[in-house]
Amino acid sequence: MALPDDPEDADPGLARERTRLAWARTSIAFAAVGAAMLRKELIPGLIVLAATPLVYAAGRFASHTPRGRPRPRRLLVVTVTVTLVAALAVVAAFLGHGPTSLRQLLHV
Amino acid sequence: MTDSGDGHSDRESRASAAPGAPAAPGAQDAPGTPAAPGAQDAPGAETEPDARFTLANERTFLAWNRTALALIVAGLGIVQLLPPFPGVPWGRHALGVPLIVLGAGVAVTAYVEWQRTQVAMRRGVAIPRSVLPQILAATITGVAVLSAAVLLVSALR
Repeated sequence: MALPDDPEDADPGLARERTRLAWARTSIAFAAVGAAMLRKELIPGLIVLAATPLVYAAGRFASHTPRGRPRPRRLLVVTVTVTLVAALAVVAAFLGHGPTSLRQLLHV
Repeated sequence: MTDSGDGHSDRESRASAAPGAPAAPGAQDAPGTPAAPGAQDAPGAETEPDARFTLANERTFLAWNRTALALIVAGLGIVQLLPPFPGVPWGRHALGVPLIVLGAGVAVTAYVEWQRTQVAMRRGVAIPRSVLPQILAATITGVAVLSAAVLLVSALR
């Protein structure tokens, strides 16, 4: 039997593994963002750090229903968490840096 | 042996039943992708694509979300870690907050496009073109121009 053109025709598990690694990268990115935020904002940083295992777990969660339909909720976890991080970042940008930056902003 | 007329109509009905369905070789080997029952009887029916296409779509979504996170962190870093621009007290917010908002926008758009792509693959039609590269390029250009403006104003004061 000749080898298939695409090695994944013989082993589709490679795509699955790449996807698992992509989920791992994404959760590591959350961990890095949370650690970076901790420097200036304790509470938002902790919230983002807490999202890290959540995102990783979403990646490990069964990606398909038994009938083969993807479950969009797992991806919504990521979207909602990134949006939450953005909201925290905006709040931190305006309030977190102490009253000076806010006062400076309003005086212009 | 069937006569030519019957064979022809049979082939036609079969062709219309699965219009351009993405039937990759080895699809039946992939675990977790059972063929949707009854999909080949109804014309224009929705069939789950090969698991590999679904997985690639998911990876694209995740990659855009990491991009979104990077934009948010860049924006937050500009606001909180940069020293203030002399003479331009609003400069850091003007540069950082759009990046953070863009990050949230990219995350939401990535989800919408993931869903659109999944529906297109399920129907076997062309995958719609992504608007994310344009959004990203336009906003980054805007932020670059704004940075130049802030730096100029700061230098002239």
